[in-house]
Amino acid sequence: MLQRFLDPATLAGLSGLDLVAKTVVDGFVSGLHRSPDFGFSQEFAEYRAYTPGDDLRHVDWNVFARTERCYLKRYRGETNTQLMILLDTSASMSYGSSAVNKLDYARFVAASLCYLAHEQRDAAGLIIFDEDVANYVAPSTRQGQLFRLLHAIEKAEPGTRTDFAKPFAHFQNFLKRRGLVVVLSDFYEQPETIVKTIEPLRFRGNDVILFHVLDPQEIAPRLREPALLIDVETKDSIEVSPEYVKNEYRRKIDAHIDAMQTRARAAGLDYFLMNTGRPLDEGLREYLAVRQGRL
Amino acid sequence: MGFLAPWFLAGLAAVGLPVWLHLLKQHKTTPLPFSSLMFFERRTQSSVKHRRLRYLLLFALRAALIALLAFAFARPFINSTIVASARGGKLLVLAIDNSFSMRQGNRLEQAKSDAEAALSKLRAEDRGLVLAFGSQAHLMGEPSTDVSAMRAAIRAIQPSDDHSSYAELAHTLRSLALSSKMPVEGHLFSDMQQSSMPPSFADAALGDNVTLVLHPAASGPLRNFAVESVTAPARIYDIKKVRIQATILATGGAAGTRRVALVLNGHEIGSKSVDVPADGRATAEFTGLDAPYGMNRGEVRIDSGDSFPADDHHYFSIERSDPLPVLFVPGREGRDLLYYRTAVESSRDAAFKLENASPAQAAGMPLSRYAFVVLSDVGDLSAALDQALRGYVRAGGSLFVAVGPAAAARRKVPVSDAAIHDARYNSPDGDQFQTAVSLDTAHPATRQAGNWASVKFFRYFSVAPGTSRVLARLSDQTPVLLEQQAGDGRVLVFASTLDNISNDFPLHSGFVPFVDATAHYLARLDDPHANFTVGAFLDLRSGREPSGAAIEVFDPNGARALTLAEATQTRNIQLSQQGFYEVRRPNRHNELIAVNPDRHESDFTVIPQETLTLWQNTGQGSHPQEAGPGESEQKPVDYWWYVMILVLALAVAESLVGNWHLGIHKEAA
Repeated sequence: MLQRFLDPATLAGLSGLDLVAKTVVDGFVSGLHRSPDFGFSQEFAEYRAYTPGDDLRHVDWNVFARTERCYLKRYRGETNTQLMILLDTSASMSYGSSAVNKLDYARFVAASLCYLAHEQRDAAGLIIFDEDVANYVAPSTRQGQLFRLLHAIEKAEPGTRTDFAKPFAHFQNFLKRRGLVVVLSDFYEQPETIVKTIEPLRFRGNDVILFHVLDPQEIAPRLREPALLIDVETKDSIEVSPEYVKNEYRRKIDAHIDAMQTRARAAGLDYFLMNTGRPLDEGLREYLAVRQGRL
Repeated sequence: MGFLAPWFLAGLAAVGLPVWLHLLKQHKTTPLPFSSLMFFERRTQSSVKHRRLRYLLLFALRAALIALLAFAFARPFINSTIVASARGGKLLVLAIDNSFSMRQGNRLEQAKSDAEAALSKLRAEDRGLVLAFGSQAHLMGEPSTDVSAMRAAIRAIQPSDDHSSYAELAHTLRSLALSSKMPVEGHLFSDMQQSSMPPSFADAALGDNVTLVLHPAASGPLRNFAVESVTAPARIYDIKKVRIQATILATGGAAGTRRVALVLNGHEIGSKSVDVPADGRATAEFTGLDAPYGMNRGEVRIDSGDSFPADDHHYFSIERSDPLPVLFVPGREGRDLLYYRTAVESSRDAAFKLENASPAQAAGMPLSRYAFVVLSDVGDLSAALDQALRGYVRAGGSLFVAVGPAAAARRKVPVSDAAIHDARYNSPDGDQFQTAVSLDTAHPATRQAGNWASVKFFRYFSVAPGTSRVLARLSDQTPVLLEQQAGDGRVLVFASTLDNISNDFPLHSGFVPFVDATAHYLARLDDPHANFTVGAFLDLRSGREPSGAAIEVFDPNGARALTLAEATQTRNIQLSQQGFYEVRRPNRHNELIAVNPDRHESDFTVIPQETLTLWQNTGQGSHPQEAGPGESEQKPVDYWWYVMILVLALAVAESLVGNWHLGIHKEAA
């Protein structure tokens, strides 16, 4: 199972890049993410005079032996962030024009991010949703967390239709700490609705990244003859001509992508279009490069 | 409207192909699952309908293309009304038989007067045509409405010595119906001889648009005696050996004793009486003919006492000359001269006189006086004789070469220069010998060669055939008799000897016919044609005559049969009169040709009425009495060609529309 999701080629592409949070989030275990709070760390910060009520475990007894005064030893802690992955498993995510459909591709991305977080001792959690929350794995750094996450990703199956409002309202109840939130979805909803639903997470200090997963056939479909298209979520059908697909549809999907990007940026959300026709590691690397401000 | 090949309409089933492609296959839209229809609108269906409309146009073009293709192959036709003539008239053809039999009594005059009477049937809208026919039809003018001109044409018809043929008449009537595009009403004025009908009744079929009205000039059979044929040699050399046979024919129930007289150059030199049975034949034979040298006009006459004396005589031509000298040059002492001389002297007409000379003697002799020269195993051929022989052959002389051991030593056949490869020898005492297994029976020299199968060849020589014609081969495929053309002359090469040492041919019965046939061939006596039937063609030129040389022909009346231009160019002449034709050639070799009427004309047996009715029924034309002004008929007009042009136009349109669709596909791709 590990080998399925954590493609070595993908991880090799990511290992050279550091996931640097744009904002400092609080944490208590040393890591790459600097925190304004003190905590358990090997990097010394200062001594403070003991006052009644302090935890005696933090008293530097060597100083007490030399000076017979009680001082508390304080460290500058490097905190771990909390990564929360929201994976859309609506029926539309099962669409794919090649061997890897959108849900598979999103699974790969989610698994890669989980592994990356695990390597950095970050707490990682997972919410799988369609029109409701289908599965929830609380963020944790406990041993075996990575395998729980990967198991939950593995078990994710295409559900029904997408409804962002309900699962996001539910998700805000789970989110206790600030951290990094990654949303993997095809975002078949009005951009205003999506951004309005997600941006409260940003208000609570989370760093939100939107991965817009789309199949190449959705971005630039090709039809040689009129076809009867059936919506995999609603089962509605409509007969379309090659001319419409070539002209009208492309114009609309491009406008949708642009609107998503514009509104997400306006709301302080990071947006990245993931074309399932492109290599997985290339997409992740490009995103991380963007986060580091290299592009 | 109809179809000439309606079974091709089965091809209409192929229209199902575009139906399947467009209506069943193409328009059956395959459902494609898609992630979301969020960006599609209902109004796109109009676009699909538009596309379907275009597909329907392509479908219609393809279906029409296939249907019209099947239609064209079915050869559609429409019945077009064709007016027979501008005024609905017909072509009245008056066919008058002027063959030899019409000389009997006043048959021809009766036919001509009947024809003149038939002119009264010519209406104002009709056109008339007069023709005289025997073995060929002769139009006596152009189709016209001028009755007086037609009457003059009828009166101008003269009796001929030709044989009548109703097949030729039917062919002429069919051709007139086709060329004039008018109904033909034929009127036949003839004695209705049974012999005039062709062996195959279908040859006399009148065909479409032709009707035939019969005007018999005779009522029944006629008792008649005739000299049917005379068998006489064209050339005689020994008057004692001449034998002339005459066959007397009785028809129409005639029988009795008749006196047969042999007349030569106008003088009766013999007569015999023969009993001729009823409807049978009798033969009179005359032996010995004391004919003077040169051309002689012979005739056999009978005192028939019947009403048709025109066939009571038969002409024949006979030429008397001395035997032709033949030079025999033996190579060595042997029996070949004995055998060859005996065979020549035993030939059918004693036409040759053999002279022998050694090679040395022959070199100084004038070869041109000899009919041909025989070289029998000559090995030591002097240069003078070789040159003389070559010049003799190039000038048209003939040479017979027998190859023996002496000749084989030269490794080349004299004059012909054909290579002699090797000699093959088998002992006469043993069982090893070769026989001739293949003979070219189409060649005059071997046509009547008899049986060579029992001839044993013990010694023979392999002569390279080159361009020679192989006339006989042995069982091991070695050529044993070859002919080579050298200049104008003829060279026959016998790859063995003429004695009975190398082979036992001289001891077989086939040797004399072989020598006789080859001698006549080499002396160019192989095709004597001196007796012909009226209507036959005489070949005047064989290709050896000098260019521009005139050949004069005098007809039986002594008039020139050819104009000056024809005399220098024409290759043959039709012999249209009975009697003697005289042909004068540039080499002063004149010929006397005897011409007699076809003796079928002497049989006055009339065609049965049932047969005549059947013959009339072979015409499919409208009956003349029922024909009215403005009469028309339905003719099928095939218009498949126009359909094919339409198919071509549709194919172009289909290609354009198809490319239109293909262009959309490329753009979409």
